Amino acid sequence: MTPPTIDDVRRRIAAILDIPEQRAGPEADLGDLVADSFRLVEMAIQLQDDYEVLFGQQDVARLRTVGDLATLVHSRLDPPPP
Amino acid sequence: MSLSDDELFVLSYYRSSEINGSLFFGRLARALRPGPVQHDLTRHFADEAQHAWYWTRCIDALGARPLKLAQAYQDRYLEAAGLPLNLMEVLAITLVFERRVINQYAKHLALPGLHPEIATTIDRIMEDERWHVQWVRDALAGLEGRFGKDHVDATLRRYREADREVYADTLAEYEQRLGFLVGPGPDTEATPETP
Repeated sequence: MTPPTIDDVRRRIAAILDIPEQRAGPEADLGDLVADSFRLVEMAIQLQDDYEVLFGQQDVARLRTVGDLATLVHSRLDPPPP
Repeated sequence: MSLSDDELFVLSYYRSSEINGSLFFGRLARALRPGPVQHDLTRHFADEAQHAWYWTRCIDALGARPLKLAQAYQDRYLEAAGLPLNLMEVLAITLVFERRVINQYAKHLALPGLHPEIATTIDRIMEDERWHVQWVRDALAGLEGRFGKDHVDATLRRYREADREVYADTLAEYEQRLGFLVGPGPDTEATPETP
């Protein structure tokens, strides 16, 4: 199976937040898209569950945009076998 | 015997916290894939919703209406400790919080002259709370392999510090209303736990 791309992760973020993909562009501000802090927790847990990756508070402290989050998730994916 | 304003405030505060807990865990249960954690989390959020109902019914039986409160205890936790952003962090903050809940309810139960309706409500809730601590502690221990025991322990320490800070701040802010709960009784700190 082809490993997910950063754009795939971004589309998944849009789906979790139940917003059109266009609104979840790489530069979209997470603070504008996530209505409350519980929603952010829910999204973080779901992304980690979906992609079997881990991140915590330290990792997301500097995240600002959807692109930042998608890149973080993508960077934690296992590298494809050679 | 009717409720004093302070008692009504405290019971309403409990009710609000149970509602918040139920909503939070319900959303997490929806986000997680099927498995043991999702299973227990689903029972947990159902319990919390039931507890909110118990408090609603208790307040009603004592001839009052629950107050609508702007903030619950959990909101203060998140402000003090930061958002838990993975399952281990969620379980760690939950374990510390549930310990606090048990201690708080035990303290309330020890009050002299407590109305039987309130005592019965706390007793029923405490049965569930003990199971909450048990399943969360077990689930957290199961995550030690994935996150590392040191990291889990450090996260618990961080949340315990936040818990002490939040509890002290809450008591200070609501000193007048919570004064009748302060004093001798079961310990006032969340018990350190070993997952």
